[in-house]
Amino acid sequence: MIPCHSRARRVPVYASLLLTFIFLSCGGSETPTKPTVTVWWAQWEPADGLQELGNAFEAETGIAVNVNQIPWGSYQDQVFLNFGNNRTDFDIVIGDSQWIGRGATKGLYVELTDWLPTAIDMDRVHPRAARYLCEYPPGSGRFYAAPCETDAIGFAYRKDWFENPAEQSAFMKKYGRDLAPPDTWSEFRDVAEFFTRPGDNRFGCALLTGRGYDSLVMGFQQVMWGYGGSWGSPETFEVAGHVNSKGAVDALEFYKSLMSFAPPGASNLDYAKVLETFTNGSAAMMMDYYAFFPGIVDQMGEKTGFFKMPARGDVRAISLGGQGFSISAKVSEEQQKLAKRFIAWFLETDKQQQWITKKAGFTADVEILDSDAFKEATPYNAPFAESLDHLQDFWNVPVYNELLAVAQQHLGEALDGVASSKEALDTIAEKHEKILRDAGLGN
Amino acid sequence: MTKAELHTQRLKHVFIMPALVFLIALNIFPLLYNVILAFSDAELSGGDWQFIGGDNFAEVFEEPRFGTAIRTTATFVFLAVTAELLIGFILALTLREPFKGKSAVLTFLLVPMMLSPAVMGLYWNLILNGHYGILNFVLNLSGFGQPQWLTDPDLKLFSVLLVDIWMWSPFMMLIALAGLQAIPRHLYEAAAIDRASRFTVFWRITLPLCAPLLFLSVLFRTTDALKQFDLIMAITGPNDTATQTLSALLYQVMLRDYNIGLGSAYALVILVIVIALASVFIRYIDTVQRRQGRASP
Amino acid sequence: MKILRWSILAGYLTIALLPLIWLAFTSLKSQPEAISTTPGMLPSLTERLEDSGGFRFTVTKEAYGRLQETHTGASHSFISYLSNSILIGLMSTVAAVALGTACAYGFSRFRVAGAHDWLFFILSTRFLPPLAVVVPILMMYRQFDLQNTHLGLILLYTSFNLSLAVWLMKGFIDEIPKAYEEAALVDGYSHLHVFWTIIVPRARTGMAVTAVFCLISAWNEYAFALTLNNTRAVTVPVYFAGLQGNIQGVPWPQIAAGVILFAIPIVVFTILVRKHLLRGVTFGTIKQ
Repeated sequence: MIPCHSRARRVPVYASLLLTFIFLSCGGSETPTKPTVTVWWAQWEPADGLQELGNAFEAETGIAVNVNQIPWGSYQDQVFLNFGNNRTDFDIVIGDSQWIGRGATKGLYVELTDWLPTAIDMDRVHPRAARYLCEYPPGSGRFYAAPCETDAIGFAYRKDWFENPAEQSAFMKKYGRDLAPPDTWSEFRDVAEFFTRPGDNRFGCALLTGRGYDSLVMGFQQVMWGYGGSWGSPETFEVAGHVNSKGAVDALEFYKSLMSFAPPGASNLDYAKVLETFTNGSAAMMMDYYAFFPGIVDQMGEKTGFFKMPARGDVRAISLGGQGFSISAKVSEEQQKLAKRFIAWFLETDKQQQWITKKAGFTADVEILDSDAFKEATPYNAPFAESLDHLQDFWNVPVYNELLAVAQQHLGEALDGVASSKEALDTIAEKHEKILRDAGLGN
Repeated sequence: MTKAELHTQRLKHVFIMPALVFLIALNIFPLLYNVILAFSDAELSGGDWQFIGGDNFAEVFEEPRFGTAIRTTATFVFLAVTAELLIGFILALTLREPFKGKSAVLTFLLVPMMLSPAVMGLYWNLILNGHYGILNFVLNLSGFGQPQWLTDPDLKLFSVLLVDIWMWSPFMMLIALAGLQAIPRHLYEAAAIDRASRFTVFWRITLPLCAPLLFLSVLFRTTDALKQFDLIMAITGPNDTATQTLSALLYQVMLRDYNIGLGSAYALVILVIVIALASVFIRYIDTVQRRQGRASP
Repeated sequence: MKILRWSILAGYLTIALLPLIWLAFTSLKSQPEAISTTPGMLPSLTERLEDSGGFRFTVTKEAYGRLQETHTGASHSFISYLSNSILIGLMSTVAAVALGTACAYGFSRFRVAGAHDWLFFILSTRFLPPLAVVVPILMMYRQFDLQNTHLGLILLYTSFNLSLAVWLMKGFIDEIPKAYEEAALVDGYSHLHVFWTIIVPRARTGMAVTAVFCLISAWNEYAFALTLNNTRAVTVPVYFAGLQGNIQGVPWPQIAAGVILFAIPIVVFTILVRKHLLRGVTFGTIKQ
């Protein structure tokens, strides 16, 4: 006689039920019946704003716009993995400015040179935004993207601390001038030093120094440009003598020296962590992208003001941020046409007027940027509008990512004290030359 | 062969094949494809690629980051597994005898290993924050200063280790405890009659009988620690010299540098290393078991 | 000795649980309190903090409320991500345990040519760094339209866990005495029948243990969940990834609250099978 557990006998029944359930629950994906433009963007507030405008576009034209938001951490991976296929899942990708070289030269982005000027009067697009967000190579007049989110790095500061009369007179006594948002890097250093009071848990500044992706490069390069260094010659792709020039080394020394006016552990702060360091009241001044500033105003209101990136001498250089609309070359002609229709619609001035009212929606439309209405709408709009004239970008050649990783890694070693500033920049120069040469750029 | 035997022969396939087919489909195909890619200059974003012979492998061994990553990985895996084994085994010894509330204690101990490494890594970032993290707040109040867990190049790897040990010591504890409880009572009773010292009992009975199981758990933990990626990604990122293990380097090369060909070569080299380590391990376990007169698993 | 034992256990338990307690506290805080440089160490239920002394924070359930909402970074509510996680976690666990048990039975009771090598192959599938297979897997999944489906992740997690399941289950089945089966086989019952009626009920402990390990790894898998899906079938770890793009900063209380809710199902599952856990993990290396 076999011991027969009644429960065991029912197992096959359960198993088949489960299998049925699997197949039911995993049924095929529904095919869209109406024309739809699929947009991929990172998961953040501006993408919500774009979706709202997309809904308005659908109401007007019957063409649905679906903004698919992907977590920042895997956005780049997913986009380029998707480009690896014969057909992409997106019609429009809102790609980081640095991606454009790869997109343009590897047949991923549709060239928009002939079309973009018909969609928008190019005089309305800020020249720096056009140069770095839309053109490849920069200055060539060949377009691969249309401006979507135009961004720059700026500073937020504690207005309440700066306007405190006691602080003002103490500052006057010590430095012989008024306490005001700094306009040069040397003023910046003084103000940072002034507010550094570890005993009260107050520090001068929080700068971008994060190692995870690109924030250290984005923060540091602005000082480097100010000190006369650069990543290299965009024409000859010569790197040595630029990135490890005396100016660049001094800049890195200076950037590193500012760490003594920053809270403990501030030599590894990404875009979110600088924000926390500022909102919890630890820092007087904080460097971040303008896209994050609406979040600061939400949390701190009147206590904060904003100023644009300090200059050194007459050189003011600001890291460009943001993303442009690019159309995938790996979708059908009809989809590309729909995509162009939506982009053209979005670039119309009245739509741009709506765009800037969306949370963290920033435009490159010069008429809007110049208008008083825009500058007065928020405390950060005016410095933003002034910043655009000074925008510059990291390499955006197809191998930008390898260049970026090398720069991040060795700048990080310099901040950590594992390598000296000179050593770090020499290593970067050497590796960058090799990467560029291997990619067939320069000689 | 009788009809019944023939039937049996066929039947065994019914049991074995589904799992094997599954594993072959989802492992062998990708692996073969990986081998092809490793000899190519394929890029993440697609496009044409061609075979470039063994160039990728040459590049792997010439890359200074590779040597550093091997050292970092070896340090990480060795320290993590050793610490987890020790902590796990000691905890298991304390939990050996039954006591009231034992199952509740056991459940609490297991919680860290049930949490998602990716998210807990992120959260530990907040705990370990050099300025407003709770750990440094407490250390500072108690006069220990503020170690910079996430920025001090000497501490970064240690911070990742700390979280890994926190998460995975319970796994070792669980397995060690199972091993301890499976040791037959009569052996200890015999030892007591022989008036064997506590030390002798531990050294002659407890440890040898647990050893095969501990080795197997070390094998599983080692292969997992070698693959540890979520924590590193969340705590220091894939591109930090101090914590760039082989997995982090693989991610960096494949997804951040877009170099699928080179990345695949890295993957194969890593796979060979792991398989070599694992076969040494398994042979050792077999030997130990055979010495104890048991059939190999 | 006893004192030493208790102090080790108590000491470790305290240290290991402190981060979890802090996690629970974070989930009850407001965002400014969560990143404060003078954090409240103990919860206070009163409105006015002065009444309850220093180092206190006001308890708020805000973070748990946010989990139910859809907002930036969370196109669906947490619950919808959680239901994906539950479906995918359970299905892949059931599949891995079922296939693993059957396979283990095959290797345990039949003579298989090259059994040792097959078993090593099965184990070795665990050695492959997951990143190494991401590109081929994506290609396959596109081919078979498995991207953005529950089935895609279920299949993948099943394959990740299968090696562990086979090895664990083989240990258990090896321990089950063959006498019952032999009697049944002599009586003319088939192997399939024997498997269902004799092996499965006796291997239940092993299946429970295997299920816990499979569920833990499927539940928390991050890299593929993030890469294979972006619209449907997104699991909870992806939810947390999405929250990090918030321009207000990383919403720590919401993340902490999510981690806690996300852990509850798996903790409950572990509690249900805890009595099997101990007997379970011997991998058959020690006979009782």
